[in-house]
Amino acid sequence: MNSTVVTYLSQSNEFSAVVKWLTTHLGFDATSLVTFVIFAVASLIVVGALATIGGLGTYAERKISADLQMRQGPNRVGPYGILQFLADGVKMILKEDIIPANADKFTFILAPFLCMVGVFATLAVVPFSSGFMLADLNVGIFYLVGMASLVGVGVFLGGYASNSKWSMLGGMRGASQIISYEIPGTITIVSIVLLAGGLSLKTLISGQGGLPQEWYLFHNPFAFIGFFVYFISALAETNRAPFDLPEAESELVSGYHTEYSGMRFGLFALAEYIEVFVVCGVAVALFLGGYKVPFDLGTGQILVDKLGMDGMIAKNIGQVLELGSFFTKTFALYYVVIWVRWTLPRLRVDQLMTLCWKYLTPIALFNLLGCAVWMYAFDGKSIYSIIFNSAAAVAGNH
Amino acid sequence: MFTNTLFLLSALVTLGGAVAVVYSQNLMHACIYLLASLFGVAGLYACIGADFLAATQLVVYAGGVVILMLFAIMLTGGTGNNINRYGLEKVAAMGNKKTYFFAGITAVIFSLVILKILANVLKAQPASVLAANEPTVERLGTILATDHILAFEISSILLLGALIGAAVISRPRKERHD
Repeated sequence: MNSTVVTYLSQSNEFSAVVKWLTTHLGFDATSLVTFVIFAVASLIVVGALATIGGLGTYAERKISADLQMRQGPNRVGPYGILQFLADGVKMILKEDIIPANADKFTFILAPFLCMVGVFATLAVVPFSSGFMLADLNVGIFYLVGMASLVGVGVFLGGYASNSKWSMLGGMRGASQIISYEIPGTITIVSIVLLAGGLSLKTLISGQGGLPQEWYLFHNPFAFIGFFVYFISALAETNRAPFDLPEAESELVSGYHTEYSGMRFGLFALAEYIEVFVVCGVAVALFLGGYKVPFDLGTGQILVDKLGMDGMIAKNIGQVLELGSFFTKTFALYYVVIWVRWTLPRLRVDQLMTLCWKYLTPIALFNLLGCAVWMYAFDGKSIYSIIFNSAAAVAGNH
Repeated sequence: MFTNTLFLLSALVTLGGAVAVVYSQNLMHACIYLLASLFGVAGLYACIGADFLAATQLVVYAGGVVILMLFAIMLTGGTGNNINRYGLEKVAAMGNKKTYFFAGITAVIFSLVILKILANVLKAQPASVLAANEPTVERLGTILATDHILAFEISSILLLGALIGAAVISRPRKERHD
């Protein structure tokens, strides 16, 4: 229980007041009860918010693709068609739920849920701000990688259980693609872990600052290349174009979810869009400074010193700024993901595997080695601080 | 209270999954139950504060091994009929008198041996209190890179051998033109 949403809220006076009141009225120590309630509410908020983001992701996808192709996109439901995703959701729920007669029923029903569980379980460690993350595990990023691999099982089983050739091919492609691209992605993560010296997402972010030159992206040349390796692997792991071979419309109808209809298909789609958000969030946390705000505004200390605000209010303002910082960067990456999808053509299977095994994996290994050498040679200083310090030394010593 | 609940749940999932693996008729389903069982084991690791081990269990088994098993089962046609061309079941029935008898004897012998080994440990040390959720990553890393460096290197050579072997086997064979 370190640095979660509960520990953040427990700093406030209201928390202790509520605990005290409940303790006197219920006759037992209410701390754990209040903790549990806060935790449950926070989890509900995260899941609800992320489901909405997943839904809005479909809207964003259609609107941005329309923009790139000089079309209008959805514009009938609500202002600018923004309620289109709700209409789609209602349609999904009301649709008939068809299970093919020769499908493996047990697996068929299980597969979308495996995808959903895999994605939602990763939300536990996504760092929205320094005070608002559900759990700060010591093995945070490792846990995230492990849980995300459940999606691969879900995709594969979905393809297998449908008992259809299209689905089968899509599922096989999906599974092989996901386990292949996990390798360069994970090696790149390891190189950043090397720089930060810890697996917890809090440690990874606290090594960076709010300004771009303090990010791990510009820490050294190897990390800079690593960002692109990770981003490409993330695109492939989430089955996004140009790596959307598992659901290649032109050859496989719709890939592993061809036979799924109604809300079961909806679960697959929702899981995909939320996973895109999660991997973008991880990329932000690893390379783009996470929730850090420039000039240490995130702690709220400056507001207390200069404006004489109450400590807790200043902290809350800092948290809101941090949330804004995280979501701005993540949505910017989300936009790039959609932009890439509607710009690049799809790869072939052999090109996909060549890219992974002959290019990305060696580059990722090289980056790992490079980061290690950099840490050893320059004592973990970033390229900016080396240049800046030597320039300052030259300028100052005359 | 929380740890107890977690332990009971994990143990239930582990045992339930294991039993379901044995009793399931469909190999594919058995593999899914195995996934559940392995998840339970990860939960058990988490109960005793081995957070790194739990995460590794998830990454290695859920991510890699189960998918590979599913692939292997699918490619070898594991869900086909079990009856060979003479109308006999290819897969021997698991539960007849003979197997139960030998399984029982084996279980008894093994449990006696394990009890004999554990007896010293149990006698020597009274039940120790678990350390409260200490991070294990750093210590594990240090031990792996110092005391157990040989085992670490040997395992990496083993994996490298497996990798090269797989590449050699799956390489398309060149036809001789002479």
